[in-house]
Order: sequence, then C-alpha cells, then structure tokens
Amino acid sequence: MSFGAYLARRTGGLLLVLLVTSFIVFGLLYLAPGSPLAFILGPRGGTTEQIAAVTAQYHLNDPFFVRYVAWLGDLLRGDLGYSIVYRQDVSALISGRIGTTLALVAMAALLIAVVGIAAGTFAALRGGWSDQLTSTLAAIGLSTPSFVIGVALISVFAVGLGWFPTFGSGGGGMDTLVHLALPAVALSVASAAYLARITRASVLEERGREHVQTATVRGLAPGYIVRHHVLRNSLVPIVTVLGLTIATLIAGAVVVENVFALDGLGSLLVRAILQRDFAVVQAVILVLVVAFVLVNAVVDVLYTFIDPRIVLGSRK
Amino acid sequence: MSRRRITVATAVLAVAGLALTACTAQPAGEEGGLSVDLTNLATTTEPGTQAVELVKWNLPYEPMSLDPMYTFNYAENTVVANLCDSLVRMKPDLSTEPGLAASVEQPDDTTIVYTLRDGVAFWDGSPLTAEDVVYSLQRQTGDTTTSYFASYFQNVASITATAANEVTVKLTQPDVLFTQAMATAAGAIVSKAAAEAAGDAFGTPDGGLQCTGPFSLAAWNSGKSIELAANPGYWDHAMVPKAAGLEFSFIADESTAVNALRTGDVDGQFFYLPPAGLTQLEQSDEVTTTYGKSLVFWTMTTTNFDGGLGDERIRQALSLAIDRAALTKVVFQGAGIPATTLAGPDYWGYEREAFEEAFGEFSAEPDLEQAKALVAEAGTAAPIVLAVQGSSAVHEQTANVIQAAGQAIGLDIQTKVIPVEQFGNLYFDPAAREGIDGFFTTNYGSFADALDVYQFFASTDSHNYTGWDLADEQLFAARAETDDAARAASVIEAQQIITEQLPWIPLAYEPVTLVQNDRISGATASFAYLYAPWAATIGGVE
Repeated sequence: MSFGAYLARRTGGLLLVLLVTSFIVFGLLYLAPGSPLAFILGPRGGTTEQIAAVTAQYHLNDPFFVRYVAWLGDLLRGDLGYSIVYRQDVSALISGRIGTTLALVAMAALLIAVVGIAAGTFAALRGGWSDQLTSTLAAIGLSTPSFVIGVALISVFAVGLGWFPTFGSGGGGMDTLVHLALPAVALSVASAAYLARITRASVLEERGREHVQTATVRGLAPGYIVRHHVLRNSLVPIVTVLGLTIATLIAGAVVVENVFALDGLGSLLVRAILQRDFAVVQAVILVLVVAFVLVNAVVDVLYTFIDPRIVLGSRK
Repeated sequence: MSRRRITVATAVLAVAGLALTACTAQPAGEEGGLSVDLTNLATTTEPGTQAVELVKWNLPYEPMSLDPMYTFNYAENTVVANLCDSLVRMKPDLSTEPGLAASVEQPDDTTIVYTLRDGVAFWDGSPLTAEDVVYSLQRQTGDTTTSYFASYFQNVASITATAANEVTVKLTQPDVLFTQAMATAAGAIVSKAAAEAAGDAFGTPDGGLQCTGPFSLAAWNSGKSIELAANPGYWDHAMVPKAAGLEFSFIADESTAVNALRTGDVDGQFFYLPPAGLTQLEQSDEVTTTYGKSLVFWTMTTTNFDGGLGDERIRQALSLAIDRAALTKVVFQGAGIPATTLAGPDYWGYEREAFEEAFGEFSAEPDLEQAKALVAEAGTAAPIVLAVQGSSAVHEQTANVIQAAGQAIGLDIQTKVIPVEQFGNLYFDPAAREGIDGFFTTNYGSFADALDVYQFFASTDSHNYTGWDLADEQLFAARAETDDAARAASVIEAQQIITEQLPWIPLAYEPVTLVQNDRISGATASFAYLYAPWAATIGGVE
C-alpha cells in the first residue's frame, strides 16, 4: 500500500473511531445520574426560578439526540464547545493544559524507552544474578503505585535534598524540565518495568534463533550480533508495547498530576466527568483518541523501518 | 460547592493523619487537652516591614471564577478579597469599617444610602462612579439572577444612583442580612464598562477583571497560576501592598502542599481545616502556623426526617452521645473546638453579653445515660444512613466517631461513601439526597451575625432540606429587626429552639489555620481573609 493510501485509510478509520467514541461517551454521561447545576448555581443552591433559567440557558433538559447533534454541529464548525462549569471555551481549557501533558508524557516515554530496553537487554544478555536483580526490581516497580513513588520522590529529592521543586510545571524551557523530572520518573517506573520484562523475553527468544546461532558460529563479533541480529528483531514487540504504553500515559497521568499539582489533561478529564461538564469530557476524549491513533500510526511506520518485509497497513 | 468540601485527601493521608495525631496527643489540661484556646485566636500577624518582590501563595484548588458574584468559596474568595473592594470592609476582628462607601446611612428601615468615597479609581484609571455600584448590585437581584449571593438580595426593591457619588437601595421589607452582606463579596464593586464588554467571560482567564483593590489581576494561566500585581494607586494609602506581586498556585494534594510550604516553594496558605501534616508544619523552622478567629464550623446536617433522624429524641440522644472533645482531638489534631451551638462565639458581632449568657447554658459534654433514656423513650429507631465524602480523612474519621457514639446508645448508623466531586450535589439536588438521612459538612455564615447561620433553618431556605419550621417566627422577626438588642433577643430565642431540636448537630468550631514562611509576615489571620484585602499587609521580615 502506498503511503498516501495508508494515510487516507488511517484518517478514515480515525474519523469513524472518533464518531463512535464520542457517541458512546456522550450517551454514558447522559445516562449517569448527576448534573453540572451544582457548579453553576454555587454553594447556596438556587431557587426554582434560577434552576429553570440555567437549565434552559444551557439546554440541560434537551433530549439526548438534540444535544448530541448540536455538539457535533459545533465540532464540525471547529468549535469544541463551552465549559459551563468554568465559563470558558473548551479550546482554551485544553490548550492551557496540553503543553504540560505533552512534556510530561514525552519525558516519561523517553525514560521508559531508555531504561526499559536497556534493563531488559542487560538482564537477557548477562543472565545469572544480573537477570535476577533486574527481574526483582521490575517486579517491585510494577507493583508500586505511582502516587507512592511520587510522594517518596518528593520526600527524598525535593524536601530532603532540595534538588527539585515540590510541585508545578515551571515557567518553560529548562525550568519545565527540572519541574517535570520527578513526575516523569514517578510516571515511568511501572511502564519501564513492564517494558524491561517484554524486552528481556523478546531478546531471549531472538538469541535462540537459528540465524543468531549461525552468526555466532561464523565468528561474528558478539556486539555486532546483538545489535544487528538480536535487538533489531526484538524491536517489533518492544515498539508495539511502547506505543500502547505512551498512548495510555496521557490519561493515566492523573494520579501523578495530582501528587505534583500539575494540571494536565488527565486531571481535567476526571474532574469534568465528575462535574458532568459534557463539552470538556468530549473534547478531552477526542484528544485522547487522536493521540492514540497517531501513536499507533507512528508505530506502524516504524515497523516498516525495523522490518522491511512488513508492508505499511498490511495485516501481517 | 467545594467551600464545604475537604480537598483531596487520600487514604494514605488518613493513615498519616491518625499516626500524626498519635504523636501530638496533648496532655490533658483544664481545657480538656485542647491546643487551641477559643478565647485567644489571632486576628492579624505581625506586619512585615520590608518590600518583597513576590509572595507565592497556595490555594486548595483552582477558582472557577473571579467575578465577585460567583465567588462563594475558599479559593475564589481568597483571591478576590485582594482584588475587589466591597462597599463595607470587614476588619480582621470581623467588625466592619467603611470600604468603598465612605458612609452608610439608613434614613428609615427600608432605605439605605451609600455615599461613595472620593478619588477611587479602577486599575485602568477610570474613576469609580455610582453607575458602577448600581450595576454591581443590580445584577444580583431578581428571580433569575445567577449570583451566588442572591438570597441576600431577595428583599431589594430598587437600587438607584441618587447623586453623582450616592447610591440608594430601597428594600421591600427591612433586611439586616442585606446590609451586613455588603461587607462580603456580595458588596464587591466591579467596573460596569469592563463587565459589560467581557460579558459571560468576565472573571474568567479569558475575560479578565476590573476592580479597585490593592492588587490588580495581572494574569490567569488556566490550570497553572493566578498572578496579581500591586496597585500603587490604591485609595487606602495605609494598605498599599509591600509585595510587588502575589502569585497563587493550585496544589490540591495536602501532603504536597505541606511539603511545598516546608521547602519554601510556596510562602503561605490558608487551611479551612487543619491539614493532615499539621505537626510537620508546627515543627518546621521554615514556617509559622497561626490559628485565627473563624466563622467556619463542622456539623452533621439532616436531609430526611422520614428515617431514624425524624424523631428529635433520637437527634438529641445522638448529640448527647458524641464526645466532641475526643472528636476535635482525633479528627482535627487538636486544632478544633467542641461546638455547643452551631454559631460559636466569633459570631457575636453585637450584644455580646446577651449571646454569651445564652451560650453558657449549653454544654458539649457527653451524657450517655440521658442519651440512652431518650433512645428508650423514642422506641425502635430506623437505621440512620450518613453520606460520607470519599477520600476525605476528616469525613471518614468523623463518621467513625458518630458510629461509635450511636453504637454506645443502641442506634444503627450506616455510612454511604460519595465521591468528592458529586458530594456537592447533596446540597441542592433532592434526588442526590434520596436514601440519606444526613451528611457532614463544613459551613459558615458570611459575617459576624449568628442569624446568618440560623437563617439556614427558615423553612424557605435552600439549606433546610427537611422543611423543619419550628423557629420561623423568630428567624423572620430577627431578619427584619434593625435594633440590635431586639434582634439579639429573637436570634437567641431561635438559637435556643435550634440547639434543643437539633435540625443539624453541631460538632466543632474550626479556626483558620494560617501558615506563613518565616521570610514574610503580615497576612490577616482571621476569617476576614475571605472578604477583605489580607495580603496588603504582607511584607518581608529581616
């Protein structure tokens, strides 16, 4: 399949997924009890007249399909909608937070890739106690909740040693890197441990393959064999897992965001769901779905570089 | 709604809180071992003398709006208090002084004349006019206003500019709550031109704000921070800020907030309930913790009189069985005062002696024998279901104390956990209250008049979920009574009925917990931080 055709098919698939997801999410929100009224009327509640006026103003009592179609229509005109809880355009809410989320996820992804692959390869190639140690560490990393890691990191590196700030996302550039270092570590530990185990298994499998044995028998340098025959062939499962992990980090960062007082998309989504702020929920879900599809498209393209036999968009 | 909420506190914090409580158990003194003395709460802190570049303050969550009429909550009011002046200003001791109105006169009970101060300008330089005042108040009147303070404006007939510097408010009937509310954000004045230009976006990160306060709104970075800049042209020369800038962060997680305070990453924070890491703050040599006069109280509301709580003898028995001294120690780490009535001593803004005498007749001491007798008299009571806010240590621990108290006198008390973001629905959505007999909440009246709290129990008030109406006569009489002594008599009568009948059960008075880094000092320590410029007096300490 040509790159153009692949792109067209992917985009079509993306639009279909977006439509279906938005419909399902909208429907689920609609069915769940509760309303955003509490957040519009304020702490003293409201009189019957006030409640009626607000309900009419924001169309809270309109039938499901009317509201969904209205939302869809706005979206097609490029309008993500209006947050009735924040009295702000949803696009402004998202653009204020997407930078933090992207920086955090990018740093965490880098850590996961480097640490996960290095540790997994090291464990598989060295074997023995190195393997034992790495596997044990990976098990601990997988089973420790990220907020515990976050609190521990703050206690040691921010309060104890004073190397890092305790919270926030900084003012851009290096400052942001310093601010996001601890949250990125907290976010990446479990995924890095998971990737290490996948890498270890994959490398072990490749090492036993015939072509590797042949290369060894032919007397090729061990480093060359590892790089060109073992690692390269192990990369397909590794990249697959890495792609899926990164896509889930965006929404999964909510716990870490809370511990480090970062306001990213994850926190925004969770709050919006509980406040029944439909427009915000829908918009964040759209961003998540797009991110998921994009990451997977990148993974698809990467496959063709890792293994030229794989054709873009093929089912193999 | 979250002004009544406890911000995120995980189960871990609950455990940590219990552990810390154990460490700080006070030696039993004559006051029952309390570390906070009700008679000795602070109103101010030593003013800092040095100019400072930037003061970094933390809020428990990001404000939803900074438009004063949408600010009825801790974080919102903490910010707006420094931005927008009210007609009347609340002093740190909770009494009042002239604000934007140089004088307030009441030629008769239903007419109030506000004469505006000369030479007051908005941040953009435009002068404050009677038009701005009329606009700021007018938009909060009427049946369909969305102002959070609408209930204070229910008796307003008209608001008119009667001279270039004079605004006259006519009431349909005398209303002492309206006049006192002018010292809160309800009486905050915004620029008419700016508010009309921004429309719905006024007070949001997009729409900005235009007021007259000692700080101006420099930037609101949605999700990150709110930045204020000192207003050098502030009309009250004594209150021109010593800090050039004031920046608010939004750390919701209490342990992170405590760590940020300990490391100096933030310079201060007001806690409306003592945080789980209170001892860490008390022991830190980076910060000073001050407990301030407060109108905040911790209470158990009732939502449904068809169940176990419908019989007043059961409510009385439960109240008698609660060991409030233990509750303040366990739940609030000693930084709380057992409550005998809902409105505590800090509400006695007038006729203090009369209130004090009436207060002296009530006791917070548990009496299990009498409680058991009341339960026996009432016969079998249906199980009582209390809503508990999820992931809140304070809620869970209080529920444990109440359950234990119920068990001791043979009452079956069950709990139902509701997530923090949905907990607010309990306040106004009858469907959310179905199957629930009561819930815990912090709450406060807006100014030092016990009537503002007891008004909740007027049968017409939105807080009165059960339709309880035994004090209506006294409450309506008090609201329309402009004579202090006569009003005090009605309020005290209402208090007597409410404290005996217990439509809500008082649990504890909560002082303001103010934490300041030792490099600065001067923040207002009392509840007035919600409605008057508390940061103007902050300066550097040598």
